[in-house]
Amino acid sequence: MASSSLKRREQPMSRDGDQLIITPLGAGNEVGRSCVYMSFRGKTILFDCGIHPAYSGMAALPYFDEIDPSTIDVLLITHFHLDHAASLPYFLEKTTFKGRVFMTHATKAIYKLLLTDYVKVSKVSVEDMLFDEQDINKSMDRIEVIDFHQTVEVNGIKFWCYTAGHVLGAAMFMVDIAGVRILYTGDYSREEDRHLKAAELPQFSPDICIIESTSGVQIHQARHIREKRFTDVIHSTVAQGGRVLIPAFALGRAQELLLILDEYWSNHPDLHNIPIYYASPLAKKCMAVYQTYILSMNDRIRNQFANSNPFVFKHISPLNSIDDFRDVGPSVVMATPGGLQSGLSRQLFDIWCSDKKNSCIIPGYMVEGTLAKTIINEPKEVTLMNGLTAPLNMQVHYISFSAHADYAQTSTFLKELMPPNIILVHGEANEMMRLKQKLFTEFPDGNTKIMTPKNCESVEMYFNSEKMAKTIGRLAEKTPDVGDTVSGILVKKGFTYQIMAPDDLHVFSQLSTATVTQRITIPFAGAFGVIKHRLEKIFESVEFSTDEETGLPALKVHERVTVKQESEKHISLQWSSDPISDMVSDSIVALVLNISREVPKIVVEEEDVVKSEEENGKKVEKVIYALLVSLFGDVKQGENGKLVISVDGNVAQLDKESGDVESEHEGLKERVRLAFQRIQSAVKPIPLSAS
Amino acid sequence: MGTSVQVTPLCGVYNENPLSYLVSIDGFNFLLDCGWNDLFDTSLLEPLSRVASSIDAVLLSHPDTLHLGALPYAMKQLGLSAPVYATEPVHRLGLLTMYDQYLSRKQVSDFDLFTLDDIDNAFQNVIRLTYSQNYHLSGKGEGIVIAPHVAGHMLGGSIWKITKDGEDVIYAVDYNHRKERHLNGTVLQSFVRPAVLITDAYHALYTSQTARQQRDKEFLDTISKHLEVGGNVLLPVDTAGRVLELLLILEQHWSQRAFSFPIYFLTYVSSSTIDYVKSFLEWMSDSISKSFETSRDNAFLLRHVTLLINKTDLDNAPPGPKVVLASMGSLEAGFARDIFVEWANNPRNLVLFTETGQFGTLARMLQSAPPPKFVKVTMSKRVPLAGEELIAYEEEQNRLKREEALRVSLVKEEEIKASHGPDDTSSEPMIIDTKTNHDVVGSHGPAYKDIFIDGFVPPSSSLAPMFPFYDNTSVWDDFGEVINPDDYVIKDEDMDRGAMLNGDDVDGRLDEAAASLMLDTRPSKVISNELIVTVSCSLVKMDYEGRSDGRSIKSMIAHVSPLKLVLVHAIAEATEHLRQHCLNNICPHVYAPQIEETVDVTSDLCAYKVQLSEKLMSNVIFKKLGDSEVAWVDSEVGKTESDMRSLLPMPSAASPHKPVLVGDLKIADFKQFLSSKGVQVEFAGGGALRCGEYVTLRKVGPTGQKGGASGPQQILIEGPLCEDYYKIRDYLYSQFYLL
Repeated sequence: MASSSLKRREQPMSRDGDQLIITPLGAGNEVGRSCVYMSFRGKTILFDCGIHPAYSGMAALPYFDEIDPSTIDVLLITHFHLDHAASLPYFLEKTTFKGRVFMTHATKAIYKLLLTDYVKVSKVSVEDMLFDEQDINKSMDRIEVIDFHQTVEVNGIKFWCYTAGHVLGAAMFMVDIAGVRILYTGDYSREEDRHLKAAELPQFSPDICIIESTSGVQIHQARHIREKRFTDVIHSTVAQGGRVLIPAFALGRAQELLLILDEYWSNHPDLHNIPIYYASPLAKKCMAVYQTYILSMNDRIRNQFANSNPFVFKHISPLNSIDDFRDVGPSVVMATPGGLQSGLSRQLFDIWCSDKKNSCIIPGYMVEGTLAKTIINEPKEVTLMNGLTAPLNMQVHYISFSAHADYAQTSTFLKELMPPNIILVHGEANEMMRLKQKLFTEFPDGNTKIMTPKNCESVEMYFNSEKMAKTIGRLAEKTPDVGDTVSGILVKKGFTYQIMAPDDLHVFSQLSTATVTQRITIPFAGAFGVIKHRLEKIFESVEFSTDEETGLPALKVHERVTVKQESEKHISLQWSSDPISDMVSDSIVALVLNISREVPKIVVEEEDVVKSEEENGKKVEKVIYALLVSLFGDVKQGENGKLVISVDGNVAQLDKESGDVESEHEGLKERVRLAFQRIQSAVKPIPLSAS
Repeated sequence: MGTSVQVTPLCGVYNENPLSYLVSIDGFNFLLDCGWNDLFDTSLLEPLSRVASSIDAVLLSHPDTLHLGALPYAMKQLGLSAPVYATEPVHRLGLLTMYDQYLSRKQVSDFDLFTLDDIDNAFQNVIRLTYSQNYHLSGKGEGIVIAPHVAGHMLGGSIWKITKDGEDVIYAVDYNHRKERHLNGTVLQSFVRPAVLITDAYHALYTSQTARQQRDKEFLDTISKHLEVGGNVLLPVDTAGRVLELLLILEQHWSQRAFSFPIYFLTYVSSSTIDYVKSFLEWMSDSISKSFETSRDNAFLLRHVTLLINKTDLDNAPPGPKVVLASMGSLEAGFARDIFVEWANNPRNLVLFTETGQFGTLARMLQSAPPPKFVKVTMSKRVPLAGEELIAYEEEQNRLKREEALRVSLVKEEEIKASHGPDDTSSEPMIIDTKTNHDVVGSHGPAYKDIFIDGFVPPSSSLAPMFPFYDNTSVWDDFGEVINPDDYVIKDEDMDRGAMLNGDDVDGRLDEAAASLMLDTRPSKVISNELIVTVSCSLVKMDYEGRSDGRSIKSMIAHVSPLKLVLVHAIAEATEHLRQHCLNNICPHVYAPQIEETVDVTSDLCAYKVQLSEKLMSNVIFKKLGDSEVAWVDSEVGKTESDMRSLLPMPSAASPHKPVLVGDLKIADFKQFLSSKGVQVEFAGGGALRCGEYVTLRKVGPTGQKGGASGPQQILIEGPLCEDYYKIRDYLYSQFYLL
């Protein structure tokens, strides 16, 4: 059964179990390749699995080398953006990861379209490709879906998600491991827009909040002002006969802008003759997803849906390529890519940039180094794709529709939740530091820890969460007082514990107990009385009875094993399996076999009872000493018959008579005491009944 | 002590009446379902009316009349005001079902049990949950957690788990364990050992469920057989429940066989239904969501089915054989009834029932064996008034108007007298407004009255006769007219204007027909005539009910093996059959209460909570068994700082306990295990396993259901003293954990 060597290993383990480790493998002090590793009580979770858009090939991946993918139980993806989901096919297909992956329905549907598109358009060499379309298709089979608020339990890890308001299907995950709750926000926005709900405020306050810090300490302009600027620019431009170019990323904010435009057009019949186009095959494909997962959106959209699907645009038509575009008169075109690097948005820009009647609206955060970022500063001239320079006469407006929480939202969110630990990720290092400083001033009481780990830098925390058990059934009939003993089977399922009597096991759990009755027949031709006599010499209790049916004699040895004469030539042993009974029966078998082999030698050893007891005592001492030496090594005889045991410089003194142990070292004392107890019970005669 | 649980059926026990049960958990009253039948028999709701006001929460399980039909009436007339919980599809499709019921009734009778407004009001405050969402109740229900789980019978259909203090009460009616085209099977099996299971015995005696493929084949063959000889096929269906599965089967089959026969889906709300269903992919089967994720192919983008919302469209459809799915399934009202009467006398036509009709309805009558040759039906129609009737009616209305005007002016006078204090106006300005409105804008009066005529009784809570129009009487003070500054603030939320402009109907879209019916203010009356319909068309019934059959029900209950079981919703024989079965095989506490009989199913479970101290736990070594881990603990009770009981290690060696073998031995598995170890094994008679030459092993004692109340397993191993014996014993021990 329980060996003490095993136990020694257990002890440090349980302390390790209380340690919670969070390590960003990406998005630590940077924006991109979100991936946060977390482990607690032997359960391991990975949040997000993105790539860094600025790098290519393996360099774009999070630092997967830091972890052993095969140990991860659950991988949770918050939303479909490349920096949160794009290394998933690689992680699923090219590493040893064998856990389960979850994301929301909408995220899964768009994930496939987006990544397939990403594979097609990325211009890296075949060797640098992290995965191909086949990997994406294969990964689809392994991704499981989770609905908002649905609680899922995997290996005792409970988790559910809240709406995050960032893009369609974006989720914030709350994870509950043994009562410790961790909230991972992913990208979130607390502002409701045209189609998305604002990020929900979780019902429970988490113990740790891993939160994005993209916007740092910035404050966004109010939404209606932004929208008014946006529509005003467009209206005045087209009214003057100009053209409006909106370079935008295919998914996410683009849908919001289309909704604004479609609605504005509906309310302004004078604009009905001016066409709006969105030129992105990907967005067109994803429109079906937007038209379907209405339930993930806000009440406004759901109510509109009662009348007609708002994502079936009335005034906006798709545009496949520039060849299909007839550039006659004013128009509004939303085109990809958002950075104006190449493609349709750039082609149109080249055509329209020198006419001052035209406008270009940059609707969100732009990466450094792209043309879109350059023209925000309104240079006099720009370089066209064909290498020529042209004057930049068109008006350039930067109206941010970014759906990341700004400082005001972040601080109110955190103040509502009051998490004792805050971990900032997904933010540029300087912004993050500023945010950290400012948050410190918001939580001056010092109870809140704010951490900004770099990539691969671990944050360690300890949670001494209490383990609670429920005692149920027969065992709980009487509520015990202090000092009473409680003995029973402890059943652990996930992180819940129950204590119950063995007889109740099948009632309260799916486990069942069994009794094994053994019956063995032994050839024995001698007189039954001989056996009886010999048994009485060895065992304390031998009861004689007669079988009612057959009239044959039977013996009950040690209250456990029944020895019965079956016939002239056989006796049978019957007992119910347990270690002691098995041992008793073995000794009976040995005895019986020996009787038939040798002539019974009955020697009365009445004399020297005292002496033999003394001898016994000595023997016991010897055994105890030998066992202690084998367990602890350095055991010496000390004063007053005490044993001195020293292990690694720690000394314990054992009183052999009382079993008391004295030691400075608590752990050693406990171990010696336990070992001594066990040894003592082992050298004693077997007690009669188990009760 | 355990949580107190009482169950009181209000309707739907020992018969197939609609479902409605009261479950009280520590004094918090849940109404589980609030159903009505297609006959709208108010006597069924009497028990509900007695307790309606004391109900604290309503949980709905399926979007059909039997499960939620009485909700609008109960909210309006019986004083039910508790929050309602349902999944999004149950809410939405339930609403459409009620619209369809109302509109079907309204066409043919002076239906006045509830109005469209009542339906809207009833569904307005439904709290929508997703599957497996643990919703924590607050206030009176503090500590109670409710969660809907997949039931599999209808889209969004739920079995409810109510948890308090770790004890589960599960309400599972009309579940289906079989996966269907549009639905996943139920997850009922994942619940183990709840304190109470409330379930139906509806199908307990029903056993002849044919395999899905064969059933589908028969179904389609029957339909195509009739179509090919030029007959029409009518499928009386529900509004938004099981019909979805039928639509998918037909759609799929029509694509495969490239049939050109048209399929029509005809209810008052068919187009809205399908529009909504298209956005409910999250709630459907894995294969449907998978096909959408990979190819963006929405299964409910129906290519072969034409959605119709009024009968004229069907009449105008090109002649020739067609399939029509029309509501109601009971044939008591709706388009299905009209079509049945038209088609019944043609022997080439087919009326195909896909579920058992409700008791006492025309559909049930036609499903009897042998089917009746003639049926007597009362057909009613709403016709506009004409001639003398119209004149008489108008005179009556004028008289009423005059009386009303007189009454109002009297009231007005009184009020002017009474309302000198400014407080009066501010406290109840609305009522005064309404009345002023009548008085001042008297010329508009007749218009309102016309709306009244149609039988639209505005809810008592409504202030104006039809539209909530308030004529604000301005109040003046020393500085002039008192204004509300908010009225003059430029609205931030201008983006919402679009929604408003589009005719924002918060509670769902009404189809044109519905709208026209609602706005039809012409005076009309209902005329009825009885006719004898010769039933010469074929009548066929097939099982598309989407409920588990008797055998599966039994094995599922056995698997869940609740500590206490309450049976509802089935005819007496089925209830009694299942009760006996469960008593004998599953659990000793089976209840089948009568209407308004309260059974106390409080668990007699003793329990208390203790903290497991770190010291104790560091010495516990768990052994893994299935998905749980077990260990033996000997401990002493102590107290923590927070006065909580905690378990500490024993100060001295614990007295040895009786060893326990934990594990579940299956003889067949063990046989395989032994043969893999090279032992010769075979089954001897009487369930005994002969291992090797001499040793036999058998299970003795009662062999009940697995994990059932039968207690521990007893295994007997016997043999002569030999090496084999000890070897096999060791193998046997290896199947268990010794604690």
